[in-house]
Amino acid sequence: MRVRVRYRKQGRLRFISAIDVGRVWERALRRADLPIAYSEGFSPHPKVSFTDALPLGCDSTGEYGELTFAVPIDLPSAVSVLNAAFPDGMDVLFATAVEEGGPRIAKLLQASLWDVAYPPGTSLTDAAAQALAAETLIVARERKGETVHVDIRPAVHHLSCDGPRLRVTVHHADHLPADASVAIRPTEVDAALRGFQTELPQPALVSRLAQGRPEADGLVEALSGERYEPLGPRLQRQFL
Amino acid sequence: MTSVRKPARYVGGEGNIVRKNHNGTDSRWLLVYPDAYEVGQPNQGVQILYEILNERASTVAERGYAPWPDMEAVMRERSLPFFSLENHLPLRAFDIVAFSLSSEVGYTNLLNCLDLGGMPLRAADRADSDPLVMIGGHAAFNPEPVAPFVDVVCAGDGEEFVLEVDTVLKTARANGWDRARLLEEISRVEGSYIPAWYEPEYLSDGRLRGTFPRHPGAKYRIAKRTVSDLDSWPYPKRSIVPLTETVHERYSVEIFRGCTRGCRFCQAGMITRPVRERSRDTVKEMVARGVENTGFEEVGLLSLSSADHSDILGMCGDLADTYEGTATSLSLPSTRVDAFNVTLADELARNGRRTGLTFAPEAGTERMRRVINKMVSEADMLRTAETAFANGWRHIKLYFMIGLPTETDDDVLGIAELGLKVLDIGRQHGRKNKVTVSVGGFVPKPHTPFQWAPQDSPDEIERKLGLIRRRVASDRNLNLRYHHGKPGEVEGLLARGDRRVAAVVERAFCLGARFDGWDELFDYDTWLRAADEVGVDVGWFTRRERGEDEVFAWDHLDSGLEKDWLWKDWRDAIDAGAELEDCRWTPCYDCGVCPGLDLQHQTGHLPIFSAGTSPLP
Repeated sequence: MRVRVRYRKQGRLRFISAIDVGRVWERALRRADLPIAYSEGFSPHPKVSFTDALPLGCDSTGEYGELTFAVPIDLPSAVSVLNAAFPDGMDVLFATAVEEGGPRIAKLLQASLWDVAYPPGTSLTDAAAQALAAETLIVARERKGETVHVDIRPAVHHLSCDGPRLRVTVHHADHLPADASVAIRPTEVDAALRGFQTELPQPALVSRLAQGRPEADGLVEALSGERYEPLGPRLQRQFL
Repeated sequence: MTSVRKPARYVGGEGNIVRKNHNGTDSRWLLVYPDAYEVGQPNQGVQILYEILNERASTVAERGYAPWPDMEAVMRERSLPFFSLENHLPLRAFDIVAFSLSSEVGYTNLLNCLDLGGMPLRAADRADSDPLVMIGGHAAFNPEPVAPFVDVVCAGDGEEFVLEVDTVLKTARANGWDRARLLEEISRVEGSYIPAWYEPEYLSDGRLRGTFPRHPGAKYRIAKRTVSDLDSWPYPKRSIVPLTETVHERYSVEIFRGCTRGCRFCQAGMITRPVRERSRDTVKEMVARGVENTGFEEVGLLSLSSADHSDILGMCGDLADTYEGTATSLSLPSTRVDAFNVTLADELARNGRRTGLTFAPEAGTERMRRVINKMVSEADMLRTAETAFANGWRHIKLYFMIGLPTETDDDVLGIAELGLKVLDIGRQHGRKNKVTVSVGGFVPKPHTPFQWAPQDSPDEIERKLGLIRRRVASDRNLNLRYHHGKPGEVEGLLARGDRRVAAVVERAFCLGARFDGWDELFDYDTWLRAADEVGVDVGWFTRRERGEDEVFAWDHLDSGLEKDWLWKDWRDAIDAGAELEDCRWTPCYDCGVCPGLDLQHQTGHLPIFSAGTSPLP
């Protein structure tokens, strides 16, 4: 039985790596005594897989994975014992059985919705408006010791703000629009805003809210179909 | 946090941690392992004391680890104090800071943790409001090189000791005792040593005349603390499950404490006597609960010589039955070289993973092994290798030391020869079979028969390593690993140093020494400069052979071993290479431990002979 999950990684767990996340999952599954399936062979591994790595230090309610169980399980009760076995900061938020022949999870996760929280009192309105008006958003990126400049704008689906909070939907690498050449990191959106507002303070927290399908100015969450709306007063123009 | 490497080292939040509100408690412990998180977190001693203390509702114990230099830089720049992982509280929020010292190379980290914590480095400069600083663990059996920095030393097993100290702490807080009164009460706890109450005196030639009590409450000698029944201390029960990678990710249970093998170089084997076994039932129960509570994939059965447990085959058989066909694997570190151990390893690896087996012959020739009392013949060694490779094991690791007393170049080359012979056997069973030979320089340790021995200089260790390297260089399937000589010399200085060496530790810390057990951070020149600046001759402490009348800096700490017995064993080693049989099967040699503690070796083996009893017919 294959199960798809959306889980959170928050609090102290923001600082553990993607490899560590796999370890935490495996141990929680063992503590919860759930019948996870193991790979065949010389050194069997539990059949679990997780989607793209969250940058270290970021908070998230939008992480995803797939688990294969050796026998059918009751999902609601499995989720509750699993959540009890996780350390603080990690919980399964949504779980659903995978139907045979359905789309692969990578196909469902086309974009991420990020929330960038600046210290209270920060106003992003001017910088965000200027970013919206700009034709290109060029940021510097270090690559093998060299600095290259990339235009992040094509990979940004939508951007909105309310006071010190920025909400931005970015396309994933495998789902970029035709005019985009590179996938981008949420911190690069912050870097682009600094081009318009040099004294912008560092974000207090960068969070991935959800992943799914970009739609108009929002995002439709991959597993539940829940819709995420843009923040606050609507900005006049959208990235399309 | 994301500006430092591996931030998961500092965040806490692991599985099974205990977080208490300090307001509901009246004694607060900070348990520190002065090394990097990934090394310190799996430490069994800290885990045991953490659980025992936290089981008291009114006591809180949290953990701390040495910050890596990048983190230290951030902490110093932003004036962040040394902190606990559970509640991220500063060191000074605790009543007592207890350091677990497995080895000497944590001393500069200990000072760094205190300094970052806003503590005066020297106990003499501390006020009533400062937390107490305590040390324990194997290296604390010669506490003199760190004596000025600590308030209390725990000699021996910590389980009962920490609870008794905890009770004193609570009484002290309730009655508002000052530091002096608190130390007086703690001094009544068996196994405690208050360094400030003692003063060393030296002879005109620089040798120690003695360490003398200077306080009415000071005992002439400190008897070590020994827990007599391990079955009544079934810890750990709920080991902390790390979020990030550590050196040992497993649920570990000690199957016995102590060792009777009598290897003359081995400090752990000497200071933890007598042998106290855990019963098969206790071990099975602990493992079942431990795996359930942690989710660990591996179970480690710990001891100094696992196969010596009187019920080892039954215990391993039961555990292997329980976990056969599951994803839980069993491991048995510290095994002797003999075919029985291959049988055991086969039993534990029923699930099919037969990758590597590790043995520690320690020396390359039978003559050398007689000197160190590690009794394994070459024929046994090769037979063991034959059995292992024949049973499908593909990689054998062999551990050796160089720089042992009376060693010749032939003994050194014997290491290479033995490695190559084992490899030859391996090749007969599979072209890809491998042998790893791991070589370290011998460091003489206190409370062992080799405490009188001269240590080889770093240059001599390097020369001997070169002999081995040249002999095995051509063979692809023989992997040679080794430790260099310079760190060993500093370890030797700290191991057998006296209170004058404390000045070297403090100076080295001020000059930037940290993480001295890490090749990439250890700086030999810093230590030489520190020793030079405070006028300590490193070679005098490390390379000098001591005579029978030498007074040691640790003589007032009683590990239970009679000094006369150790001396006789030392002379036996270098004069004749006489062997000592394991004393649990043969008549007692009067090492002094058992009668002193009113204990006998507690094993299921019969017959047991011990002091005062005559051998059974």
